[in-house]
Amino acid sequence: MKRRDFISAASSMALPLMLDGFGIKSLAKGSALVQSLRKTAAVNSDRILVIVYLGGGNDGLNTVIPLENYSAYNQLRNNIAIPENSILRLAGNLETGFHPAMTGMRALYDEGKLSIIHSVSYPNPDLSHYRSTDIWMTGVDSSQYADSGWAGRYLNDRFPGYPNNYPNSEMEDPLAIQIGQISTTTLLGNSESMGITLQDPNSFYQMIGEPDLSLESGLPCCDAGELIAYIRQQQVLAVGYAGEIKAAADAGRNLATYPDASQKNDLADQLKIVARLIHGGLRSKIYYVSLGGFDTHSNQIGSNSLEGNHAELLKKLSDAIYAFQSDLGLQGTADKVLGMTFSDFGRRASSNASKGTDHGIAAPMFVFGTGMKRQLVGTNPDLVNGLLPANPYPGDPNRDIKMQIDFRRVYSDVLNDWFGTVRSTTDQILYRNFKTTSLFSDLVQSIASGSWLNPEIWSSGRIPTALDLVQINPGHTVEVGQNIIAKDLQVKNGGELKFLGNYSFKRPG
Amino acid sequence: MGFLDTYSAPLTEKTAAHLLRRATFGPTRAEILNLSGKSASEAVDILIDNASFRASPPPPVELDDNRSDAGQPFLQKPFDLNRATSYLRYIQYWWIGLMTEQNGFPSVLEKLTAFWQNHFVVTSADVEDYRYINRYLSFLRTNALGNFRDITIGMTKDPGMLRFQNGNENTKTSPNENYARELQELFTVGQKNFAGSYNYTEDDVKAAARVLTGWQATNYFVPASTAFGSIFNPERHDTDDKAFSAHYNNTVISGKSGNSAGDEELSSLVNMLLSHPEAPKFICRKLYRWYVNPNVNQDIENQVIIPLAEFFASPINNFEIKPVLRKLLTSNIFFDQANIGAIVKSPSEMMIGMIRFFNQPVPDITTEFGPFRLMMDFIAGSMNTMQLSFLNQPSVFGSLPYYQTGYSRNWINGTSLGYRGSRSDAMVYPFVRIKPDYLLQIDVLGRLSAIQPNFGNVTAAPAITCEKVLAEFSSNLYAVELTQVQKDFLIDKIMMMNSSPRTTWTREWDAYRAAPSDVSKQNTILWRCRAMLKYMLRMAEYQLF
Repeated sequence: MKRRDFISAASSMALPLMLDGFGIKSLAKGSALVQSLRKTAAVNSDRILVIVYLGGGNDGLNTVIPLENYSAYNQLRNNIAIPENSILRLAGNLETGFHPAMTGMRALYDEGKLSIIHSVSYPNPDLSHYRSTDIWMTGVDSSQYADSGWAGRYLNDRFPGYPNNYPNSEMEDPLAIQIGQISTTTLLGNSESMGITLQDPNSFYQMIGEPDLSLESGLPCCDAGELIAYIRQQQVLAVGYAGEIKAAADAGRNLATYPDASQKNDLADQLKIVARLIHGGLRSKIYYVSLGGFDTHSNQIGSNSLEGNHAELLKKLSDAIYAFQSDLGLQGTADKVLGMTFSDFGRRASSNASKGTDHGIAAPMFVFGTGMKRQLVGTNPDLVNGLLPANPYPGDPNRDIKMQIDFRRVYSDVLNDWFGTVRSTTDQILYRNFKTTSLFSDLVQSIASGSWLNPEIWSSGRIPTALDLVQINPGHTVEVGQNIIAKDLQVKNGGELKFLGNYSFKRPG
Repeated sequence: MGFLDTYSAPLTEKTAAHLLRRATFGPTRAEILNLSGKSASEAVDILIDNASFRASPPPPVELDDNRSDAGQPFLQKPFDLNRATSYLRYIQYWWIGLMTEQNGFPSVLEKLTAFWQNHFVVTSADVEDYRYINRYLSFLRTNALGNFRDITIGMTKDPGMLRFQNGNENTKTSPNENYARELQELFTVGQKNFAGSYNYTEDDVKAAARVLTGWQATNYFVPASTAFGSIFNPERHDTDDKAFSAHYNNTVISGKSGNSAGDEELSSLVNMLLSHPEAPKFICRKLYRWYVNPNVNQDIENQVIIPLAEFFASPINNFEIKPVLRKLLTSNIFFDQANIGAIVKSPSEMMIGMIRFFNQPVPDITTEFGPFRLMMDFIAGSMNTMQLSFLNQPSVFGSLPYYQTGYSRNWINGTSLGYRGSRSDAMVYPFVRIKPDYLLQIDVLGRLSAIQPNFGNVTAAPAITCEKVLAEFSSNLYAVELTQVQKDFLIDKIMMMNSSPRTTWTREWDAYRAAPSDVSKQNTILWRCRAMLKYMLRMAEYQLF
């Protein structure tokens, strides 16, 4: 049972429940026991999400490289292609490799601590940096607009009423922390940012100094009054949290080696602060960090394709995440932290003549940590038959990578399976239901009817293997034209597994 | 009384200060008094006419006083790779110096140039060649009050822009769409109209890119080169016809060849872009957000943006900028009470406005280059920390608080409030030394002495009261009025430290009058007034303009 369910069950139902050997019969919401339960570290309550924004639109195809399609890849982007023999190979995965700069992330992949979500985008993609980033941050359809961010709405739901009466005894710490300067839309709640933005915890504390009394006097009319109220609120919030942040920063330690200052790896610097705050016991739920410079219209490679801007960026990304994950492991905090990358959009599959890539559609996301149940969602983009436009004008060299996974499916899984949000609440936060990618589950479900061999009908975007529990959902007919294998197979009432011949299902071993 | 009709009341100190806060980076007391009593039209004409005073200021110079060429101009010298980073900074300092100086000729020029610099963005971090950045800035300063068509054409061919937005790599065999997209999305028509529909198609981006093929920047970052610029290379130009969507009335720009093809097609393209009905609205909306209020509702769209845009694009005006600026700054809506204090100060309005308001003189760049550099280190460094770096915007969109939801609120968060407070503290508790005899600071004793009748004769005139002291320091300081509760709080809780009655002040002040060179008497006055000033400059009200 999820913590939230438990609390609501405990407070509303008269059925006896057992907790640590204590029988609980009927509890008022405000009773001392419920209050103390709320404060205990129940299931999922201490989990943390670290969001890594790659500003500018990362070139996914030179990040996660489809070895199985190498010649098509090379043909599409001959002037920036990574030589086949330089591509980093992944353990147990012959189809896909990493950019040679990504040794740290390759190591994490090989250790099972990094997952690839292939070809992530959204329907009717927008190629404007600002608008597309806004879509990713607010979590809407490209035809819709929202004034709040998806993570902000989650925090708004989990901590109702914020910022009134925060910090309080149940949540003494900022709900979210952004290491940076200008607050991100991702953390915008329904009325204001749910996060605290800071650069360095020590200087933050010094600058804010001792709390000043804020004047609760009448505000002038109109925009000026609203702005004054907003700024005062920021002042009070900043003061209220400064002590907690400082205490966590003082108590926390970095135990791993991060890239040294000469590397100018700002992402590593930011993640280093995050690791320190986590280790110091800060209970903020979401951290937000960023690395800019991915808008590589020209010269994304240097004198050869192993060097240059994009290689340097990927090295920073990879080194930073590797150091951070190592740090969490040494601290003993790794099991409660999940990381996730996102970017404005992907870039074209075909390169331009400036040794760069223009704005495109789908690109991979990375999820890192110890909480995932699978390392691959979706397949390599099909560079032979699967590019957009499907029927290009003669002579038009532009080819785009089409979407396999809507980014909101990943958000939905993070909210449901990582944070333990009630599913109906997640659907409200994301404005509707999104199908799971099974990222945090052994169970691969059908999400449409079709052939067993069609990856698109499976929640994981891949054909099930002997490691997967398979479920055919109601309303779906899955046609089988060969012998199939899976760890187990369940056909839900209303679903159908249709054998097109004398084929069999068997379990491994 | 229409929103765009001319505001007819004579300017008061409050409305004159409002005009100066928005049209410049912030007023001095003398500038406010000068414009008070004038009509809005007279005042705005003065601010526009004053632009000519600094049309050709002395050039940027080497500011490192350890070098033998310190104080000498460098732009006419062959390109010096080793000094590139420093020279970029000096060019930025030179411009901030013009924004900050108090020469008696307050002008719209630098604020409007800053608007264009946030609109047609070229960033020095990307372009790096200081001559390119200087040329870009000079072009914007020269044309800021000119014609929008000329600016659009000039910026498209600007060597810095060609580098920044990859126009110089845009060729017929391999069009680079980067600039063609931004030209439409950010510089002219805007991505979407006010109702949210797209103003152009992806194919329009591709077609515009083909029109723009062939332009190149020359001698970029070439050591010891003496000339640079942009050229049109007909070999690289796509000579086919370019067809646009119904958004542009299915315009076809005929492909041209030869040396003049680039200019001819560019002229057709810009004509087509500016004929798009959304283009003048897009520009006027952005000007409104910059000068009046970031919030544009349907009423403002209908009553301000649309008629202003019609005027902007009308045959008689033909995209001249000066008349549009004049109309906006003299309008009823500009002076509407609801728009006074309706924007959060950017780091420039905060820092430059503060320096100007407290009359901190800018050392002469040519004769006092060392002190000039120290002052600009403080101003530019602080602005940079607060996330605004002129000529080096974070992206082609310009600074985020000018376009992201929430607009100017985005300048404010826990960290930036801390920085703002620490910089205003520096004016109150002085430590930034510009010259041996010049410390940046609010002249507390000088200002209070000046408002004390018969300063030297305690018996001849009673002491200025706490109320008078607060009135002196808060006069024109805020865009909004303090309430009586706030004034009492500032006096009793801060100035009198919640421990002494107000009469204690008069005794202390008279003791200082009787012995003005007694350091301990001075310090008592400074102790109380500085505590209050620190608090006043950290108040939320001070962050608005």
